[in-house]
Amino acid sequence: MRPEKIDWGRLASIIEKHRDEKSRLIPLLQDIQETFGYIPPKSIESVAEAMNLFPSQVQGVVSFYAGFSLKPKGKYVLRCCRGTACHVKGSRSILRVVEKELGINEGDTSPDYQFTLETVACLGACFLAPTMMVNRDYFGKLSPTKVTSILSEYRKDKEEQ
Amino acid sequence: MEDITLTINGKKISCQEGTSILNVAEKYGIKIPTLCHHHDLEPFGACRLCLVEEEKTGRLMASCVAPVAQDMTILTDSPRVTKHRRNIVRLMMAEHPESCLVCSKGNRCQLRQIAAQLGVGETDLYPIPNYKRLEQANPFIIRDLSKCILCGKCIRADHELVVVGAIDYNLRGFRSRPATVHDLPLKDSSCTFCGTCVSMCPTGALASKNTKYVGTPEREGLSVCGFCGVGCSLTMGVAGEQVIEVNPSHRQDTVNGATLCVRGHFAHDFLNAGERLIRPMIRKDGELISASWDEALEIVADRLLNIKRTSGPQSVALLGSSKCTNEENYLFQKIARVLLGTNNIDNGGYSSGQRLLRLIDEKTDGGCRIHPLEQLEKAETIFVLGANPDQSAPVVGYYLKRASRKGVTLIVADPRQTELADFASVWLSLLPQSDLELINGIAALLYQKKAYDPSFIDRFTEGFGEYGDGLSSLDLERVTGVTGLDLDILEETAGLLNGKKIAFVVGHGILQQRYGMQSIEALFNLSLMTGSLGHAGAGIYGLARENNQIGAWDMGTAPHALPGRQPLNDVLNSDTARRDWERAWQAKLLPDQGVNVVRMIEEAEKGNLKALYILGENPLRSLPQPERVRKALASVDFVVVQDIFPTETAEIADVILPGAAFSEKGGSFTNMEGRIQTFLPVAPPPGEAKPDWESLFLLAAKIGYTGGNDSLEKIRAEIAELVPMYVELDSQRDVAWVKETSKRKLFDPGGKGGMIPFSSVVSTGDEVYDDIYPFTAILGSVRYHLGSGTRTGYSDRIEELGLKGEVEISPEDGINSGLRDGDMVRVLSPHGSLERAIRLEKRLRKGLIFVPLAVNANDAMNLIGLTELCRPESPGWKTCRVKLEKL
Repeated sequence: MRPEKIDWGRLASIIEKHRDEKSRLIPLLQDIQETFGYIPPKSIESVAEAMNLFPSQVQGVVSFYAGFSLKPKGKYVLRCCRGTACHVKGSRSILRVVEKELGINEGDTSPDYQFTLETVACLGACFLAPTMMVNRDYFGKLSPTKVTSILSEYRKDKEEQ
Repeated sequence: MEDITLTINGKKISCQEGTSILNVAEKYGIKIPTLCHHHDLEPFGACRLCLVEEEKTGRLMASCVAPVAQDMTILTDSPRVTKHRRNIVRLMMAEHPESCLVCSKGNRCQLRQIAAQLGVGETDLYPIPNYKRLEQANPFIIRDLSKCILCGKCIRADHELVVVGAIDYNLRGFRSRPATVHDLPLKDSSCTFCGTCVSMCPTGALASKNTKYVGTPEREGLSVCGFCGVGCSLTMGVAGEQVIEVNPSHRQDTVNGATLCVRGHFAHDFLNAGERLIRPMIRKDGELISASWDEALEIVADRLLNIKRTSGPQSVALLGSSKCTNEENYLFQKIARVLLGTNNIDNGGYSSGQRLLRLIDEKTDGGCRIHPLEQLEKAETIFVLGANPDQSAPVVGYYLKRASRKGVTLIVADPRQTELADFASVWLSLLPQSDLELINGIAALLYQKKAYDPSFIDRFTEGFGEYGDGLSSLDLERVTGVTGLDLDILEETAGLLNGKKIAFVVGHGILQQRYGMQSIEALFNLSLMTGSLGHAGAGIYGLARENNQIGAWDMGTAPHALPGRQPLNDVLNSDTARRDWERAWQAKLLPDQGVNVVRMIEEAEKGNLKALYILGENPLRSLPQPERVRKALASVDFVVVQDIFPTETAEIADVILPGAAFSEKGGSFTNMEGRIQTFLPVAPPPGEAKPDWESLFLLAAKIGYTGGNDSLEKIRAEIAELVPMYVELDSQRDVAWVKETSKRKLFDPGGKGGMIPFSSVVSTGDEVYDDIYPFTAILGSVRYHLGSGTRTGYSDRIEELGLKGEVEISPEDGINSGLRDGDMVRVLSPHGSLERAIRLEKRLRKGLIFVPLAVNANDAMNLIGLTELCRPESPGWKTCRVKLEKL
């Protein structure tokens, strides 16, 4: 998702919604992540203020969970599995192919905010190894050609827009 | 809590339920190694080194977080426990860089100590050093996180003790580390550089920067911090003859516990400054030249006696020091009163509202002298007025913030939105100098609701009827007008105070302001009405700026009081106090009150002051209108300055006597709580400098004094014998408390002192402001400097910080005046001007300007008028009207 100018009004209303909840910090952060696609670093102070925490504590929670990101992510988040089964089945080469195809390294987001490339320890689908996910879709038994065609699907998607 | 019994290492132990195994073991002298545990912090269980074995079940548990249970059988060093402990240490060491040789933690590294105790040498593991960022872009702290073992002590000290919250754990697993928000360098984060984390860090991950000596100090000594009035207990590490590091002392009953502030921790490097005075100097033909002690003291004695003889004792004045010890101040005022026959003696505490605190002492007859800060955390309600302890006395700030976090209602009245205001239930953003109206307004609202303590009022006070009448006729509309506060917020505040015993914390915002005296009187009334006096965790806490401001007053370096705060002039009691002292000292004492420090300057201007002896004060920097003070002092025939630095004042002196700093002499200080702390020297004075009591004694001998006082012990014994407040002062113990000697009914049910009177309700006059000066400037402290910044100015680390002391202005006023961040401005008042950069500060309200003190040679004092001596001796130096010119 291309980072747009943050709608502070919207952020404030999300914070207000959670202000009086019990165990409220993580649901609030999830809500922000869902809305903006990431946790805007500048929102940490206002979240902390509403939750009566130190900003450093909020950042501690955000940075602890892989599910939260302080950086804006691409429209499509690719998660290449680097678990044991996938590794044995050649996931290292798969990752290299993806990196080469997209022109970005692991952990990075393409400049046009179309793709973000991540690795995960296991996707829980070892019988399909090597695997990867694009947003919420699984792709298994990958080969370099299959990767190229999957990626071109998403690129085509981009061109159609 | 039930008593339970358990066995530790075969020893039967009974203890209370709810404590941890570690605490019980420690209590019985059984040592369990730990890296993350600290008695002032909540148990955390991070390092796992404290694991012990429950024999019956075979379970291993971390003893710091495992509560004791009935019939437990604990083994603290069974082979199994030891094996696991060794493995934990081996893993920590495998991740640790091998830089012990150059690590400043040296032999004090607890990881190293524990490894040694467990016999872990080589780890026999594949080392994977965890290289993390090294940060040293600030003058105080080096953070080498590759040495971090993630015990979380720094984080917990930051959150639980100093309540700043600059850092927390970030990321997880191997990458986990303490980090600031947005991973900023400490310098740009909310870190206050109190250094508490540095003292607590068990390894070399956090270390002091700019130390002249790397490694373990050769020896350590206990001392008491020489900066603000909190009187923190210190451990000073010494190498050779220099203090090379400062940490909070390891004692557990101290005012500061494991905390310190940036001044206490880092600014003591002023002790080693090359500018220190090392030999006496005398002025010959206009030039200051070195002289021997004998020669210098001879001149001082001769000239003082000569001037006394020719111009009379009234032409001699002495300025004692709120930074020197009790013993020195006692001796100093004795020289003034007995040998020179003058009561012209004062100390720097004048500017911190000593006269105002005296009012409380008079009204209670000496009943409210002890205010333990620890009771603030147990207070019912805290009301902070005109105080910003986060900057001026940070350790008090920690107490208040901790209290707020524990759920104590905190009310803050301050024109500025201070850090403390963020912790308050209510922040009253009143207009400057309107505290008196605020206090009366709240009292009136409480009176309306009958929210006062009738039984307290009946039993211990008098004059409530008249006071109540005054309150009911108070014009609340005027109160809201003068304070700029809505009635709603006043009602809310009164609601919070209703039925509560209140701890009032007052700072320079009251103690230095024009209506300070009246405000203190009103506050005293309010505390009587709510029954807040004589109650633990309640009463009026006055912040003391200087370390021994209270002691200097107690010792009688004051124009109106003899030692023990006894009145010089007390016709009602047929001058008993003075007569007693005359007998004790075998001398005739003048009954007339002497002149205070401001009057000294005025007398000098009139040509009436011929000799001035200044001990450890720098009036040319600390008093308003420095140029005027300079001129006045230049007209004094003979000026003696006894100090540790060639201060602005020393430069114009006729004789300079080099003194010893607090760490270089023995003595005692009395802090704002009323706690008297004695200490021994930890390092020798530089060069020929002498402890001040010693040079004062030598001088007294030259003047012709033969009455003993030739050792610290003898002076101390004389104080303990003659000053009822200080009976507990002796050399045997290092902490004592002043005595409350009141005979009022509240403090002594059988006493003959009678009731405590209410005083009548008074109001501020209507202010008429001159349009030429559209802003109100508030002068205030910054945490990196103390007072006028003479000593902190000689600290290399503070110097390196390069504080510009930007004048703050509200964004609205800034934009209206066409000013942007960093623009240079001239701030002009009717008395003078200064030039500084400006900063737009959104926490400041319209119409106000904030001018930090101490920076730029304390040029803020140019703005204030020295003679703005407001009604009874309130300094009135807190605010002034100013205008701005863009440069």
